Amino acid sequence: MNEKSTSPEKSPEYFLRAEGITKVYSDGTVALKKVDLEIHPQEILGLLGENGAGKTTLTKILSGLLPPTEGRVVSPRGPVRFSSPREALEFGIGMVHQQFALVGPFTAAENVALSHERPFALLNLEETKKKLEKLMEESGLRVPLDIPVEKLAVGEQQRVEILKVLSRNVDLLILDEPTAVLTPLEVDELFSFLHRLREEGKSIILITHKLKEVSSITDRIVVLRHGELVGDLPTSQATPAQLARLMVGEKIEEEESAVELSVESLPRRREEKKATPKREGEGILHVEGLTVQGDTKEIAVNDLSFDVYSGEIFGIAGVEGNGQTELVEAITGLRPVISGRATISGVEITGKDPREIYRLGVAHIPEDRWRLGLVLPFTLAENAILGVLRWKEFSGPLSFLRWGKINQHVRKLIERFDIQATGPSAPAKSLSGGNQQKLIVGRELAKDPKIIVASQPTRGLDIGAAKYIRDLLVEMRNNGRAILLVSADLDEVLALADRMAIMYEGRFMTVAAPDELDRETIGMLMGGMAKEGV
Amino acid sequence: MNEPNRKLITRTLTGLNPALESVLAGILGLIVGAILMYIWGYNPWKAYWALFRGAYGDSYGIASSIARGVPLVLTALTFSIGVRAGMFNIGAEGQVYMGALAAVTVGYFTLPPGLHLIVGLIFAMLAGAAWSLIPAILKITRGVSEVISTIMFNWIGHFLAFYLVANVLVDPLRGQRTIAVPPSARFPILIRGTDLSYSVFAAVAFALVIYFLLWHTATGYEVRAAGLNPTAAKYGGIKSKRTMLLSFILGGFGAGLAGATIVMGNPPTYAVISGLPQIANAGFDGMAVAMVGRNHPIGILIAAVFFGGLTAGGRTMQITAGVPLEMVRVVEGVIVLTMSIPELVRIFRIIRRGIQKILRREAT
Amino acid sequence: MTYFWGILFISLHAMVPITLTAVGEVVGETGGLFNIGLEGILLLSAFTGALGAESAGPTVGLLVGMGTGALVGLLFSVINTYWKGTQMITGIGINLFAMGFVAFGLIVLGAPGFHAVPAESRLAAIHTPVGTLSPIIFVALVIPFLVHWFLNRTRAGLILKAVGENPEAADVAGINVNLTRLLATTFGGVLAGLAGAYISVSWIGSVTKGISAGRGFIALATVVFSGLNPLLALLGGFIFGFFESLATWIQNLAGSKAIPWQFVAMIPYVVTLLVVAGVIGRVRFPKALGEPYKRE
Repeated sequence: MNEKSTSPEKSPEYFLRAEGITKVYSDGTVALKKVDLEIHPQEILGLLGENGAGKTTLTKILSGLLPPTEGRVVSPRGPVRFSSPREALEFGIGMVHQQFALVGPFTAAENVALSHERPFALLNLEETKKKLEKLMEESGLRVPLDIPVEKLAVGEQQRVEILKVLSRNVDLLILDEPTAVLTPLEVDELFSFLHRLREEGKSIILITHKLKEVSSITDRIVVLRHGELVGDLPTSQATPAQLARLMVGEKIEEEESAVELSVESLPRRREEKKATPKREGEGILHVEGLTVQGDTKEIAVNDLSFDVYSGEIFGIAGVEGNGQTELVEAITGLRPVISGRATISGVEITGKDPREIYRLGVAHIPEDRWRLGLVLPFTLAENAILGVLRWKEFSGPLSFLRWGKINQHVRKLIERFDIQATGPSAPAKSLSGGNQQKLIVGRELAKDPKIIVASQPTRGLDIGAAKYIRDLLVEMRNNGRAILLVSADLDEVLALADRMAIMYEGRFMTVAAPDELDRETIGMLMGGMAKEGV
Repeated sequence: MNEPNRKLITRTLTGLNPALESVLAGILGLIVGAILMYIWGYNPWKAYWALFRGAYGDSYGIASSIARGVPLVLTALTFSIGVRAGMFNIGAEGQVYMGALAAVTVGYFTLPPGLHLIVGLIFAMLAGAAWSLIPAILKITRGVSEVISTIMFNWIGHFLAFYLVANVLVDPLRGQRTIAVPPSARFPILIRGTDLSYSVFAAVAFALVIYFLLWHTATGYEVRAAGLNPTAAKYGGIKSKRTMLLSFILGGFGAGLAGATIVMGNPPTYAVISGLPQIANAGFDGMAVAMVGRNHPIGILIAAVFFGGLTAGGRTMQITAGVPLEMVRVVEGVIVLTMSIPELVRIFRIIRRGIQKILRREAT
Repeated sequence: MTYFWGILFISLHAMVPITLTAVGEVVGETGGLFNIGLEGILLLSAFTGALGAESAGPTVGLLVGMGTGALVGLLFSVINTYWKGTQMITGIGINLFAMGFVAFGLIVLGAPGFHAVPAESRLAAIHTPVGTLSPIIFVALVIPFLVHWFLNRTRAGLILKAVGENPEAADVAGINVNLTRLLATTFGGVLAGLAGAYISVSWIGSVTKGISAGRGFIALATVVFSGLNPLLALLGGFIFGFFESLATWIQNLAGSKAIPWQFVAMIPYVVTLLVVAGVIGRVRFPKALGEPYKRE
């Protein structure tokens, strides 16, 4: 469903034009499909889409840092193809990423000076500071210039990044999810700054998933879904409901060119839910008023309360970065809790370390299996006993390992979960992603847990492996276990969950059964708009 | 070539990959040594032939090679246990000094033979562990780089040893050395006429204990897991502070034991000589052995015999071919340098892929 | 009173190799590479510097020493930047190689273990009424200031600091991380090479297989003490030099039972430990020090 319209007020000249951009990565994933887009001067463009929709890829191609597989990017200024961000800056395109590229102990002035050329010149910080002062006055972005950047608040650090880019006189400024780490006051300041920039004739692309923001600041909104441009309309004509629909798509029956996307998405086919009536089992996980701090000292989980019962899959959907990771880490003992509590079957787990929590019956399928789930150089067998090796059946007196028993156990796992490997002594890194995940799942299930916390369990897996894992989760549910499923893949949550929540900025926007929610509402909630407000 | 043979060859090459890397490094070291010898006017062939003969040519040579390798096994394990736990413990040098001096103190009291020896070994191991304790605590509590702290302790130990040898443990009748280890506390000679003593069993035993510990106990598993992936280990409930402490202590035991084997197994002196000539460099050479042995006890045993052979054969090389035995350390240095390049593995993989391709072509 | 001048002058002489090597390593570590092979460079360049001096005069000797240091520094950097090696192991390899090479070389030259550099090949000393000074002392006094100026007042210095602190950010800013590190560590090698040649050609005037006497490691300790500030490295070098000369003085003083010289000799290392343990001041090192840089 494409809605294109051009506002008559805009001048016909463009700054950049993307024509028929298609991008296929070397592993076969199609990131973008035939995207046409024009960037005009003096406009703020909102780029909207879910995880994996292709926003980052598109902006990389627009800024000339990534070559498209098909199509081209043209500009009246010259060819748009650069080998480093510095060259792009010289052309006039600057990007501010979610991860800042700042040197911690340097001051703001020094960080800005770094990005200017001519290494054999004398350092003239006074001049740089003067330029920055002027820039700060013009843009309204104020930042202390003489304090090491690592001591600044995140919002201030972002301003340094922006100033860095601005100091090179860019004409196109791209911001990737800039408000994720800002307080509301900082957001307002940022937006008034963007308005000022626009008045000067610059173009701005704002990548976001937040509907309220995109509606308030932009002139035009472009929506991507599964690599396709599904909407390009002036903000004045767009309603949040419409945007939500565009962002997450209509009901699944639609035959779309089954665009096989990057890791988070499914091909569009209906998942058969194992038709088992909802059972109100006993409460397993109880979370009450949980507040957790993220890595950059912001509040990631904000006074959250919910319960997960046995015999159900409780799904948490939402765009990544809204506190899901921190929530899972808090529940599994990898992150401290600021306030609130969590219990498993009544036993307090707040603040306990992972091993104790596992002993209480919690299994965890981590979202980053290479960092958290596996010791890659270890063998299959060695990985299979991670966390459980002190059990009586695996280790004896003087903590001697019973390799015989262990290998037996591992062979059973290999058979039960159909893990393709040469045997228990195969190194874990020789397994495919799907088999690695199966190993982890098998290991966790062998703990006979009361509740399974599955975080992005099918990320990076091929269709077959993904289906296998999903079926397994459903089977576990049918066997009476409780499952907390956290996934950025909305379709996955919709297909599997008995009850689901949509997480946004550390809170649940709603908790309901998937049937009770229509796509439009879901899209709005994911974008931060409450059901009633429009 | 038929299918099963092809699979066998590929499997062997894959499995031997790390071992072949070591061999490659060894060959490179010998080549560079040969080049240097040639430049200085020596005959490399004659030299290496003498080296080989001296090291493995007769039973005396083999015994000597093994004897030289005994302390290397132990100091190599000190380093390797550290590596397995994710650290660089290069404090073996100082820990060896302390161990040797502690072993010598048995000369101040008498015990029945056998027991006397064992008590000496225990003193030595405790001394070695004690010397690694402060770097361990600094690392665990304040995150202080163990590289710097262990180097410092090596040098503090160096001077402390000088002091103890000259002033505290000195042999009043002889000067210039400590009191000797009495016969009741010495390692008996294993093969008459050689300097190979029963200390070799101590070394092998320690290596086996470490092997079993690391690969066959839950504690050892935790050490290795924490060394390879501290985050996953934490998620698996492993406390990395404990594993680091354990690795330091075990390493100290090994180095202390190394000092003891030198002093209690070394005819004719059985004492620590002023200037520490017998025990100096045991730590550093051990590191080379550890690297070539891929930080695995079995590999270390083999590598120690090789390096011990270099030292033992070096003497013969000096006498017969006139090449100073210091050339051996040159070879060692090149070997270690080569092993620091991971690209070596890549070069090797390219070769292996080439061989696989050839084999595949033959099959079709 | 004669003691004062004597100790001062010896301290200044002893300061030189430590300060030069430390300042060089400050540059290298600012860029992110940790070179434990400094000891080896000192040893090698002492040897090659002596040879150079004997064949073509003291100045050539110093230059040969610097060249040796540059070569080894270059080898170290190439292995650990472009070839993604392990810095610790490369450094250990260099030390082992140097130990063997110099010992071997000394024997080949005729005198096992010891080789004196003839007087005419040595650098002319500056004579003062109270003692002699080597000209290199002044070099060692000036260089820390130059390096300090370089690090803090030029853009190249800023780039170097960025590379050591956050190579990803530097890469994004268009800086060639590997090349920068290579130049920095090679420069460090040059200074260490000068230090080594100074020992054999100017100061002690001989080469033994132990001539470096752990000064490479003392330099590493000085770098820690200095917190990567070249001026503090100068001060640290002087302090360590002072204690070294004090230890020698006490050792030569027969009948001095006040403090055994061995304990005086320990002081530099103990001090470093305290600094490193955070007791004395808080030292901050580049975040990426010792880590190989891999572009994702």
